[in-house]
Amino acid sequence: MAQANKLPGVADATDKHSGAVGSKPFFSSENSFFWLLPGIGLMLLYALFPLLYNLWISFREWDLMGKEFDPVYGEGLPFFGENWKTIWDSTIAGPLNINSLLSNGELTNNLALALDPRLQNSLVITFQYVLIALTFQLVLGFIIALLLDADPWGKGLMQSLMILPMVIAPAIAGMIFRLLLHSELGGVQWMLYQVGITSQAEPLMGGSGQYALAALLIVDIWQWTPFFVIILLAGLKGLPQEVMEAASVDGANFFQRLFRIKIPLLRGVLLIAVLFRLIDLYRVYDYVHIMTSGGPAGATETISYYNAIQTFNQLEWGYGAAISVTILLIAWLSALIYQRAFRISW
Amino acid sequence: MATISQSKKATSARATDDAWRAEQRAHHRNQLIRKVLLTLLTLSIVLVFFFPIYFWIGASFRPFQDIFAKPPLLTFPEFTTSWWEVVIGGADYGDIVRREVGGRGGTGGGGTLGYYAIPYLMDSIIIGLSSTAIVIAISVTTAYALSRLRVWGQQNWIFFVISTRFMPPVAVALPLFLLYREIGWIDTYQGVILAHTVINLPLAILLMKSFFDDIPQDLDEAAMVDGANRFGSFWRVVLPLAAPGMAAAAILSFIFSWNEFLLTLYLTRSEIRTLPVAMSTFDSSSGGTEWGFLAAAGSAGMIPVFIFILFVQRHLVRGLTLGAVKA
Repeated sequence: MAQANKLPGVADATDKHSGAVGSKPFFSSENSFFWLLPGIGLMLLYALFPLLYNLWISFREWDLMGKEFDPVYGEGLPFFGENWKTIWDSTIAGPLNINSLLSNGELTNNLALALDPRLQNSLVITFQYVLIALTFQLVLGFIIALLLDADPWGKGLMQSLMILPMVIAPAIAGMIFRLLLHSELGGVQWMLYQVGITSQAEPLMGGSGQYALAALLIVDIWQWTPFFVIILLAGLKGLPQEVMEAASVDGANFFQRLFRIKIPLLRGVLLIAVLFRLIDLYRVYDYVHIMTSGGPAGATETISYYNAIQTFNQLEWGYGAAISVTILLIAWLSALIYQRAFRISW
Repeated sequence: MATISQSKKATSARATDDAWRAEQRAHHRNQLIRKVLLTLLTLSIVLVFFFPIYFWIGASFRPFQDIFAKPPLLTFPEFTTSWWEVVIGGADYGDIVRREVGGRGGTGGGGTLGYYAIPYLMDSIIIGLSSTAIVIAISVTTAYALSRLRVWGQQNWIFFVISTRFMPPVAVALPLFLLYREIGWIDTYQGVILAHTVINLPLAILLMKSFFDDIPQDLDEAAMVDGANRFGSFWRVVLPLAAPGMAAAAILSFIFSWNEFLLTLYLTRSEIRTLPVAMSTFDSSSGGTEWGFLAAAGSAGMIPVFIFILFVQRHLVRGLTLGAVKA
């Protein structure tokens, strides 16, 4: 994005006004510090402070009465303590079998792995959830955007209707589908029974939980496919008309125009849309809380939900904080890598 | 078209002309059929997406048995406002259950929890409006600086703002909870309002920045040549021009605050309940008695947002992508 201060004309204007660089008075309306202070200050207070505080909490232990006691530092990992050892072992050391590799090289003593199966499960569930939901939303959203872009009658009205699911509170959307997919009362669930996709013995919600994740995915896909629709529609509308016409004149068929021209030209828009959706999918919480409470048997326990359970139900503040720092780091690192890899800038 | 066919008529033989016209007619007919099919296909997909909303708002006006009709009803053979009488009008829960459900209900948790939604809506409105006001007041100066001024590490600040947007709320819930517990802010308006403010700041800052970027720099310059200082040119020239953008940022902030769930849930106990949080505490497992009330309460939370979004539909794409994609 163009930076205002790099445009020569503007630099002149500021210089004219406040003299040469270096001689500016501190208390001047040119000093960006005062402009930035309220917004950035509040965000530093509310974003950076919690992060650091969380980090500190994650090295500590509390008992169930909320009384703090000395953290137990694991023998193999002297600094990081039990909470971080569990996270490290469950996510990296356990699956990759690093400890045995290290101990073969006699770097560590053979320390028992502190595995947390629920953490591992929630990471796998979250990964599945993100991948499936993103794929469906992207493909479905693209198709609907192409259809709307082909200019059917009532396009404006249909576009407005498409937006509606997105602005409903996810908690309420979860409620709607909790009724629609209810194993006895739900109309949509009943239709699925009739078609034979699910059976009374194995409904979407309830039962053994085989399809419970699908129930959550249905809500997510319903609510957030419109996100891709409106963004891609905006992108399609912005495509240079001459290029599309030239392609038609040159006899490019529908698929050639789609894959050779539209998608490459939409690359930037697609990347941004996917980035935002990835981040929001990854922190899914509301649907789980409203519809399944993570069950049955952990089948829908996403990482955010598991984190909240550990923190606010089990009152394992130290461990909960360690999980949330992990979540935060995964979110920030993947966003950073994504942004750098695809050179997205604002 | 008419002039072309006339000139054709004048120059070419009648037979060729008729053939040409027939071809044109066939072409138009194909175009028409194509458009009809396209419209039908698109409409059916859109209606699938619209169905759950229609169903839910509809359910809030149906008598008890009709809510669970299979297949779901699309028309209204019978109509009732009983659920809304409790949710908006404050009618007695037990009376309505006896009237609508008969002997089957009356034991659900709704009686004590209360489906009377006005207090929840008031909480949602107070929190939404206050946090939106703070968000806008704070974000305009920050956005202006990022758009216009010489800011040390400008790109880094922008990335910091985006990182805040990418921060999962569950990652700040515990530290904020512990902090609020120390200073007695649990279950207070200021606690929730500030949390919502910070959640919406990245959106507002980057959205406002993108609107400021659209306003030509010459205007600031002209104002400053005429003797205004930086703040004067911002306040009198740029800000009025960015008013539509400000309105869009405000409405989007309000909607996100209105819909926020996780932080509100864990930073409040019983004094403050926004509508989504209150709904999550309603018990929906007692034999279906509660669904009429739930539908009415949920609809009460949805309909205001639907009205608001109509005003900012044009800027929605820009808002959702923090100004990166302009519609």
